[in-house]
Formats: sequence, structure tokens, C-alpha cells
Amino acid sequence: MYGWTGKLLHVDLTRGTCERREIPTDILHAYLGGRGLGVRLMRDYFRLGPFEPDLPLIFAVGPLCGTNSPTAARLSCVSRSPLTGTIYDCSAGGRFAWRMKAAGLDAVFITGKSPKPVFLSIDPARDELHPAQSLWGKGVKETVAALSDHGSVTTIGPAGENGVLFANIMMGEGNSIGRGGLGAVMGAKGLKAITTQGDGVTGIADKERFDAARGDVMRLFRASPVIFGGLGIAEYGTPALVDLMAQRRMAPTENFRSTFFADSGNYSGPAIRKECGAKKEGCYGCPIQCKKASAAGEALPEYETVNHFGALNGISDLHAIVKANSLCNELGLDTISAAATLSAFGEARGRFPDAAEVASLLADIAYRHDQGELLSLGSRRMAEILGRPELSMSVKSLELPAYDPRGAYGMALAYVTSNRGGCHLRAYPISHEILRKPVPTDRFSFSGKARIIKIAEDVNAAVDSLVACKFAFFGATLEEYGELLSAVTGIEYGPESLKAIGERIYLTERFYNCANGFSHDHDTLPHRFFEEAGSAGEGIDVPPIDLARFEEELQKYYRIRGLDEEGRFGDRDLLAELP
Amino acid sequence: MRDQIYKYTGKLLADRSACADGIAFAAQDDVLITAGAPELAALAGATLSRLNSLALVAARPTLPFADFLIARAGQGEECIVPQDTETRTFLHDIPFLRRKDLADDPAPVLAKLLGNRKGVIVEGVGIVAVGAITVEQAFINYSSVFHSTFVKYLQDLLVDGFRLPGEREAFDSFRRDWLRPLSASGLDFVDALSLEKDEILAEIERVGRYTVERGLVDSFFGNISAVAGERIYISQTAASLDELKGCIDPVPADNSSTTGITASSELLAHRKIYEQTGARVILHGHPKFSVVMSMLCDRKAECVIKDCWKDCPHVRDLGGTPVVAGEIGAGGLAKRVPPVIGASGSAIVYGHGVFTLGRAGFGEAFAAMVDVENFCREEYFRRMNR
Repeated sequence: MYGWTGKLLHVDLTRGTCERREIPTDILHAYLGGRGLGVRLMRDYFRLGPFEPDLPLIFAVGPLCGTNSPTAARLSCVSRSPLTGTIYDCSAGGRFAWRMKAAGLDAVFITGKSPKPVFLSIDPARDELHPAQSLWGKGVKETVAALSDHGSVTTIGPAGENGVLFANIMMGEGNSIGRGGLGAVMGAKGLKAITTQGDGVTGIADKERFDAARGDVMRLFRASPVIFGGLGIAEYGTPALVDLMAQRRMAPTENFRSTFFADSGNYSGPAIRKECGAKKEGCYGCPIQCKKASAAGEALPEYETVNHFGALNGISDLHAIVKANSLCNELGLDTISAAATLSAFGEARGRFPDAAEVASLLADIAYRHDQGELLSLGSRRMAEILGRPELSMSVKSLELPAYDPRGAYGMALAYVTSNRGGCHLRAYPISHEILRKPVPTDRFSFSGKARIIKIAEDVNAAVDSLVACKFAFFGATLEEYGELLSAVTGIEYGPESLKAIGERIYLTERFYNCANGFSHDHDTLPHRFFEEAGSAGEGIDVPPIDLARFEEELQKYYRIRGLDEEGRFGDRDLLAELP
Repeated sequence: MRDQIYKYTGKLLADRSACADGIAFAAQDDVLITAGAPELAALAGATLSRLNSLALVAARPTLPFADFLIARAGQGEECIVPQDTETRTFLHDIPFLRRKDLADDPAPVLAKLLGNRKGVIVEGVGIVAVGAITVEQAFINYSSVFHSTFVKYLQDLLVDGFRLPGEREAFDSFRRDWLRPLSASGLDFVDALSLEKDEILAEIERVGRYTVERGLVDSFFGNISAVAGERIYISQTAASLDELKGCIDPVPADNSSTTGITASSELLAHRKIYEQTGARVILHGHPKFSVVMSMLCDRKAECVIKDCWKDCPHVRDLGGTPVVAGEIGAGGLAKRVPPVIGASGSAIVYGHGVFTLGRAGFGEAFAAMVDVENFCREEYFRRMNR
């Protein structure tokens, strides 16, 4: 078999066992890897609560990992989110994924709960659990340094140990498994870290075809202004979007009360380069290298992070924002949810936190001290407890990132149809509504968006299962990645068959969610977006979203998906139809 | 979506790439809609309903070049592989279905081919192209296939001559009836472009329309810019040159803002051309004969370079216009065009298109592009007549 190893490491933390098992080949072919494989492996467990010991925490790589397919040395982590209650996955880069594949594994499937803190070491010769009492309570940097002899490290910080509902799992190279609180799931299992090392090679069925496909991908990268353009993400990282979002009047500001922040230039891509000496860094083997680090090697914040610690909280001090980012990384906190929760908290109490207060509040959250106990629950629960539920700018409890939905109607629809809650990366319509890739669409129109969002969700479910980076698709398409996959595996895949796989994955996730009580009532935006205008300027008007038109398009989306008016499956037993 | 279908039907007619009675679109939102020539519309609808895409166009080209390419293809060949940049970068190859292989219902096999590629040629039927997320995208892919088959057929004729019954007559008809004299006459330009933003934007929009109307570029591709002090105004990536209103990015020369992340992929080339030439404006189109002629090279037989389009270090000459290799975007084009374009005011990129300069305004740049294309057109027919 090419592309896959066909092996899964089953770890039972309750029993303290590690066992390598076969993964049925037809499952790999039908779900690819990453998100898809993880979602499929959740089939018998998706009703379990996020902190129930038997709930699996799954790490899965894809068939392209281990080859030099551009942007594909990634993994997905899949489980059920304690923040949202939905099925949850997150894609992350770093060396860990590549080394896990090289250790002979497509997936690591972790269940149970260890009576004492442990870390898991994965090695082609021996997979083993080790005591980690001495690491419990340590920050991310110290943990990674302590375990570096074991290879690549992924770990939780204090936030994950303490059950913060938006705790991340941090990759040793600075990447994160973020947003949905899977760090808290890992912490609840008593698992502090996982290390992996391996030297295996992923075979390629047709090297000549692979090289040609890789050439096609790279050519499209070079032709994409967003990727390799002089103002693109390879140069400035994702903060290249700061100026654009300001110009488009869709930068969420002061808990989404407005959409323009006059001081956003302080943390734009050029400003970060100038102030922090930003240099290129990125995921292992990735030609784009969109992440940036300071001259001293400190990871610099992404677009969503600078906006949310910046405009969303009314903070213009770049160095305070960088410090907040570093603190989140060290504590194992999701930056978007942390900043958005602080912002909702700020609006509720009538005062947004200043730069100095942010740092102390972040520490309080990670250790659940004082106000941090409340804030650690995320914005939805916090706002409800404060009696101001309308102030949580979230969908399905997941805090919205830095693309105001009043400025891009496809994004508005995508937020609510996302199976993991208010996330920009599922359908990612910013690609065409703002960045004009592959072709531009009218951002202030719902016309055609239901179908567009559906297609994009299918595409991106496949992308997350390959596992490739979304940014690659600012240039390349499933045409070229289908060629890469066919060349690697020796099995013919193309855009349409990959989209069919993506649709299967998306619908499975939706089915799980519906079985756990999610329906149309959860597919909506905070009322603010239907009632209050954004910040007009530069000839751009940002009115509230027309609720009736939004609802009409959502119902259209349901029909396209084959769902009923409640967004559910009726009597249909989807899982019985699928491999 | 019907307004979109109407719009892009009009564009296919305006650029004369499809026959008036042979255009059909299908689009699906929550329901499937079809419009246009009944048989083609039925095929379009039946095909699109099998695809996870939004739109599809099926149209009969005004020129028989695609069909000739199929007929000239060898037994067992299943696709055409043009060498122009458009194909190399975006299409890769163009699958085809032969007339003899068409079943009673070609939709399933067509859908299977379109499941892997953006456009397909069906012998005797036409070009079928899919738009993953918009009707415009289907139009663009049709245009790309039309452009690429046009270029490849003319290129092949130079090498192999006529090989099929009816080819010569069709070619003569193309030359006599389809081609139109190309000139800049009757067009108005601002003689000396001011530094005023509004004037610059209006002039770029107008020149964009001219460039499409005179057939110097398909509406989707190409780019235009003007420099004013420390700012370059440039058309956005994926912008139709005949619809540039609101699609021109102001880019500061010192990169103090990244607003221009949506600017054309050729921003770097434009920037360097301005730095090295002192020009005020740049026009970049893909006139077809220039593309064809740029790929001719006398040294091919003995040259060790195989990827001529990006690796050729030589500067060739077409009627005084330098021809260089170079990939688009962040590839070598931005390195190879700026040093050569200043002397002649124009440059051709291998398999890709033409860049021209204006020292004061677009009149000079537009005239230069017309001259380059006219030279290449005449040179092409001169060689065909040999």
C-alpha cells in the first residue's frame, strides 16, 4: 500500500496499554486521513460527553504526509469539543505529523483516563506511557524542552490541565490544535504530552507523475498574489490581511460593535516586520512559510490574533498584542476565543481590558483564578452567567474570528453552517469574497452563496483529510491535489471524487451533531449582526444583515444538503449508508 | 443566476468565441436551471446535475480549431496538451471526446471528465466547461479552452501544415471572415495622464474595455497599471479587464500597506518595469498571434533546454520586440521583462502575452500592443504562405 501505513496506535490510558492495530483499507480509501479518518473513527463514540473517559482523542495524518507534497505535513486532531459540544477537528502543522507518519502510523486513538499524569512516547520500536507528574503544571516551553530527546512533542499547558474550555494542544514547533478546547479533553485524560519520532519513508506509487503534479502546484503558488505575491502571506504572514480588512470595513472592533479600528496600522504586516524584525517561519516542509517569528525566535501572532487582541479589545499597542500571543502559547490557550471572551467581558462590564490587564487575565483564565474561573468557560457561558447572553459573539459557543459577517455574506452563512461552530476555515468564503480566489464573488450578496458554501465545505473537508493547508488553495485546486494523491497512492482521485469524500465527511459530522441535539436553532448569528450596522467609510456601506434573506438562503442550503427545514436528517439513518 | 447567464452569453457573443445559436448554460442553486440552445442546454443540465459544481457552459465555437485538433490527434490520445501559459498553469491538458465514442447520452462520461478537469472538447458538439462556484468561472474556463486550442492549432499548422480535408478552406475562411483588421483608430486616450486618482482610475477602466473589445486579451486575463508618484494603480487579480470599476488597487511603492494583496499577480513585474524604465503606464494582454509566434524558435532541435517557457535565457526578437521566457507571478517573468522592455517599449513573454509601455499615457502602450500583434499576425501568415 502506498500513501498510508494502514496502522493505528490504540492507547487505553485507563489500562495503560498501547497496541498497534490495522485500519481497514476501504476506510482509508473512503475517508483519506486526518479529519475524515478521525470523524469516521468517532462513529461509535460521538454521543459521549467531552470529558467522559471513553471519548477518544484522535490524531490522524494523511496519505500525502511524509512526501514532499506542498503543505501536507500536517495532522488533524478529532474529538468532541467541550466548548461547543459538537464533533470537533483541528488541523495543525509542525514536525510532529511527519514524525508520526514516519513512525509507521496513520492515526493515534487515545481513550480512557490515566490515574496519574502520563506522557505517551511513540517510536517505531516501542510505544509507551511514562509518568509525567513532574511535568504537570509546567508551561509549554518547559515541557517541550524536557521531552525533546524523545523527538517531536505535542503538549498541553496549564489551561488544558485545568479544563479551560478553549484550551489548546500545542505543537512543540509553535503550531497549535486550537479553538475547540481539545487541550481540556487531553488534560481530562491525564495526558500531558505525546512525543514521536520515526524515520520511515512514505512510498510514492508514481514518482514521475508526482513530480509533475508538484510542479503544477508550485506554479499556481507562484501565480497567486495571496501566496507568493510581494504583499502576500509568504512575505508578511496572515497579518497581511490587517490592512485589507480595514480597507474593506470588516475588521471586528470592540466586540463587533464596529468594523473599523483606526489604529490597526500599528499591527499590520508591514508594522510587525518593522517593529519585530519578522522573519519567515512555518510548518515543516511547507514552501509558503507563512508563520513569522521575531529576530529572537518568538512566534509572532497571526491575523486573527492581532485583530482580536487589538481592535476587538480596543488595544493598539503591538508589543502588548505580541505578549498576549506568547502568553497564550505558553499557557496553552486559544488566542481567538481568549481575546473574544475578554472582549465580551469588557463590553458587559463597560470597560475593555487594557494592555496590562490582558496579561493578568490570561494567566487567571489558565489557572482559573478569580475572574478567570468565569472567563475560562468561554464567552457564551460567561455572558449567560452575567445575564447578558447577547454579548457573546459566537456560533454554537465558538467565538467568531476576525471577519465581520456584515462585510461578507457568504462568511455569514458559513459561520452558521460550520459543523464546529463559528469558524472561518470550513467554507472559507473569504477566499473569493475578499481575496478573489479562484474567482471573485459579490460579498454583499447572498445570491448563489448557499450552493457555493456547500461546495466549499465539501472541498475543505477533503483538504482537511489529505491533510493539506487551506492556504494552498489560494493558488492550487483539488485538480492538482487529486493528481498528487493519485500519484502517491496509485489510486485515481480527482476533484469530483474528492468532493464526494468531503461531502461524506461533512454529512457525518452534521449527523453526529444532530444526534446530540443540534438543529436549525443553533445555525444562527448573534442578533447584533441583524440589528446594528458596521462602520461605513471609503464609500463602503456596512448595513445590518437582512435576517429574512439570510434565513431564505439558509433554507436553500438545507435543501441542497438534503436536510429538512430544521436542518436535520428526518428519519434518514445516514451512517447506515456510508462505509 | 439568470442575469449571470444572460451576461456571459453576451460576452461569448461579443468576443466571437461561440456561435450565436450554439450557446447554453446550466446553473444550480437549490434547483437546476438551464438556458440557451435546447440540445446543448439539455446536455449542460444533464451533465451539471452529476457534478458538485455550480455552473456549466456548453457552446459551439465559432472556429473549428478544437475539432481539427481532435481529428489530428493520434489513435489512443485522449487529451490535447497545448504549450501556452494559460494551459500550463490553469488547465494542464484538455481532455476530448471523439464523435465516434459519444453514446446516446454523453452526459455521464462528460461529467466524469469534468470531474477532473475544467473544460472538455466534444467533437462535433463544442467546448464544455465547468464553473465550480460561479457562472463567470464557467465562462472563464470556456474562454481558456478556446484560447488554448486557437493558439495550439495555429502553432501546429506552422509545423505540420494542413492534413485534413477542409482544413485549408476553414483556415482561409478564418483569415478572411473571422479575423478583423486590428488598429487603435477611433479610440480616445488621455495624452498625458495626470496624477489625479480619479482620472487614472477612469483611464484604466476605459483602456481595459478597449483591450477586450479589440481582442487583445480574453476578458478575464491580462492586467493594466499606471504609476502616480509613490503609488501604483493596478488591476486586481482575477479581474475582467472590461469590468475594472472598483477592481483597481492602489499600492504604495514602499510596501507600507498590504491592501494590494489582491492586486494582479504581475504587480512585481509592473513595479520593476517602472523602476527600470520611468514609464507611466503598463498594458499587458494576451493577443493570440503574439502568443503563437513567441513559441517559435529556430534552435529547438539542437537546444538542450526543454522547459523553454521558463528556462530559456536567450532574448529573441520579433519585429524589434524582445521575446523572453518567464513564469507568471513570482516566477522569472518579473526578472526577465524589466531589463528588455525599456528600449523597445514592448516585450513578449514566451507562450504568454505582451507587455507594453506608455511614457505619458495609454495611447502609446495600446498602439504598441496593436503593432506587436499586427507584426506577429503578418509574420504568421507570411510563414504559412511559404
